[in-house]
Amino acid sequence: MTALLEARGLSRTYDTGGAPVPALDGVDLAIERGEFVVVIGPSGCGKSTLLNLLAGLDRPSAGEVWLDGTRVDQLSETALARLRRRRLGFVFQFFNLLPTLTASENVELPLLLAGRRRRQARRTAHRMLDDLGIGDRADAAPSQLSGGQQQRVALARALANQPDLVMGDEPTGSLDSTSAGEVLGLMRAAHARGQTLLLATHDARVAAAADRVVTMRDGRVTRERAMQPSRPVTLPFDPDPA
Amino acid sequence: MTLTLVRLAFAGLRSRLLATTLTVLLAGAAAGTLVLVLEVRDTGRDPWERTFAAAHGAHVLADLPTGEAAEALRSLDGVTESGEPQPQATLQLGTGTRDEPLLVAGLSGTPAVNRPIATSGTAEPGAGVVLERSLARVLGLEVGSRVVLSGPGGEEEIDVVGTAILPSQSRFPRSNPGVAWVERPVLERLQPDRSAWRWIEALRLGAPGSARAVADVVVRGAPPGTVSTATWQEQRDLALQEAAPLQLILSMYTVMLLAVVFAVVGVLVGARVLEQTREIGLLKAVGLTPRQVTAVFVIESAVLGLVAIVLGYAAGAALAPDLAGAMAETMVGAPTTAANPAHLVVAGVPVLLVLVVSTWVAARRRTRMSVFNALQSGRAMPPRRSLLTRAARALPVGVPLHVGVRTFLAGRARAVLVTAAIALTGSAVVFALSMQAALDDRPAGEPSDVPAELPALVYSLDAVLLVVALTSLVAIALLSVRERLRDFGILKAVGLTPRQVASTLVSPFAVLAGVAGIVSVPVGLGLFVVVYSVSGGEGDPVLAPWAWLVLVPVGTVLLVLLATSVPARVATRSPVAQALRID
Repeated sequence: MTALLEARGLSRTYDTGGAPVPALDGVDLAIERGEFVVVIGPSGCGKSTLLNLLAGLDRPSAGEVWLDGTRVDQLSETALARLRRRRLGFVFQFFNLLPTLTASENVELPLLLAGRRRRQARRTAHRMLDDLGIGDRADAAPSQLSGGQQQRVALARALANQPDLVMGDEPTGSLDSTSAGEVLGLMRAAHARGQTLLLATHDARVAAAADRVVTMRDGRVTRERAMQPSRPVTLPFDPDPA
Repeated sequence: MTLTLVRLAFAGLRSRLLATTLTVLLAGAAAGTLVLVLEVRDTGRDPWERTFAAAHGAHVLADLPTGEAAEALRSLDGVTESGEPQPQATLQLGTGTRDEPLLVAGLSGTPAVNRPIATSGTAEPGAGVVLERSLARVLGLEVGSRVVLSGPGGEEEIDVVGTAILPSQSRFPRSNPGVAWVERPVLERLQPDRSAWRWIEALRLGAPGSARAVADVVVRGAPPGTVSTATWQEQRDLALQEAAPLQLILSMYTVMLLAVVFAVVGVLVGARVLEQTREIGLLKAVGLTPRQVTAVFVIESAVLGLVAIVLGYAAGAALAPDLAGAMAETMVGAPTTAANPAHLVVAGVPVLLVLVVSTWVAARRRTRMSVFNALQSGRAMPPRRSLLTRAARALPVGVPLHVGVRTFLAGRARAVLVTAAIALTGSAVVFALSMQAALDDRPAGEPSDVPAELPALVYSLDAVLLVVALTSLVAIALLSVRERLRDFGILKAVGLTPRQVASTLVSPFAVLAGVAGIVSVPVGLGLFVVVYSVSGGEGDPVLAPWAWLVLVPVGTVLLVLLATSVPARVATRSPVAQALRID
């Protein structure tokens, strides 16, 4: 396998007005294509900072980020946006759906940005929401959905353009155990389709599903552990009702 | 407790300096314009009263068919002083380039009452002629000019020996024909037919307040339709009528400015209270009752309103004398600041009321909710289903415009207020363009009763409106950026480029500006037609040509793009990760 995503000596220091606060300190990490990697560690260890830098949502203080042979950390904001649009899907702990768009419109957004026609994007969004078991909530506002439903919409949005790499920062962190299990099942299904997964989590069940677990402490990678090959995926609903 | 509430209010004002400054400026502009309207009229009274005193003005001025009838008035009850009856006849004035009818008075010495006051040269005609000042100015004549006076008795070439004013004479050409004074023998030569003369009798009364009653006696004592009178109050009103078009336009602009300011204040107050739902919860949590929390917000608005009113009053009173210059043309000296403290109250009450009531309504609703519900109600939602939202969704537009319009439609009240504010400003520009077209349409060299200050006034007020509207747009756009910073982070995370993110903010403003610009054309033209007819315009009004009018929507969109582009840049600058951390 070749590394799809690679961090080399990645550091990030926050300047909060007082003394500089180091959040990440010289992290080296390589994610192979098709791999399911989970980053774990206590709060404040730098998991979210690492994912933000790898996804191009933030700029490193030092080090390099490479995605499929392209150096990401030196790209302009416009180039980064285009890269995220085509290659990356991101799922946040607090969903980050646009509150003024409906569930369906949130999913349509990356499809439209990728150049799909509006009608086609709407059809795809509705099909994806159906697949995720919330087709009947397609026209609901995000604030009218439960946490689990919102995370499914966010997941549909992240997967809409079938990106190479799907990242998640505590994607099950705000969900009850049932919803968390369902969302995990959906992510594993994506992985089973060949998509690369990189998740930061506190959830042991998520870690147990990964190919590799990276442990972080105080802004550094302290341990990397390969897990058993992923068990067959059990979806929380019937993916093909027909 | 009151002291605590006041302290909390001042702390709130300090923490939102931009919104505080903007509210003061906008409310101040509204109060200032109101004061200006009120002051212009009062300001003109001062020089008129000085002119009346200097001319030893007539409390009652009577225009009669015979000298005998005029002479008889001098012994009326209540009359304490009177001048010799003064004959007048209409002659023709030739300047070499044009001929004007002229009302010429024949003097026999200096009149004891209502005597002309020299403003250049002399007021005693001698062998020459003295012209009323505004007439001389319009005809381009001055002391030393040579004119020809002609009548049924012949014509005489004669020197202009002075210009003068009278408190009973309003500005030429509003008062047409103009007035001049010659020695009586000159009048007798040029108009030998005495039956064509009119006689003016100027009376002073022991009780000036009884002028109307005395005038009624004069009219009743003569055959119907043969006598006319003018009391000193009527002379004053006529002289001050110069300000009527100015006042009408000032009033119209005041209403427009107030509407724009109130629309913007409505947006700002609504957004502030929405933004402060958390603060409301905190204040309630530390033990303030809903009434006390509302009081904190109301005190904030009241303080802003009071500062704005004082600033507006000072600005309005200071500008009034310049605007009253037109009516002072027939008076002694320049207008001075009247600064009537009652105007502070008249202008202040509506401004203060709008600020306080809008704050009270917005805050009261939110303070009565539970903290949880208050936070829920502040959460953005997709726009309600309607024909408009369906149409917006069906439009084949790009993602940024689609997202931007959806967001704007979600806050429909704000969209309506912003559109109304832009449309009103646009209509003021259309009004000014129509006025300019009407002025340009006048035949060259024709005397005009349009005060010289009118175009400058209209353009100044347009500039004020434009500045107010553009400043407000920048403020509302900045407010939108602050409210949507997290959304912008999400959009970037999903794959929108910085330019596209900026476009989600700018493009809906541009669409609203386009709609408002188009609406402003018929509204502005309608306003011009109404003002033209109310201020006594004759014939069909000349409207701005279509080529100018087309520029209004285009210019509106360009200016709005300019005003919102700076806040849009702010929207794109924030790093995604940082924007997503904003709660």
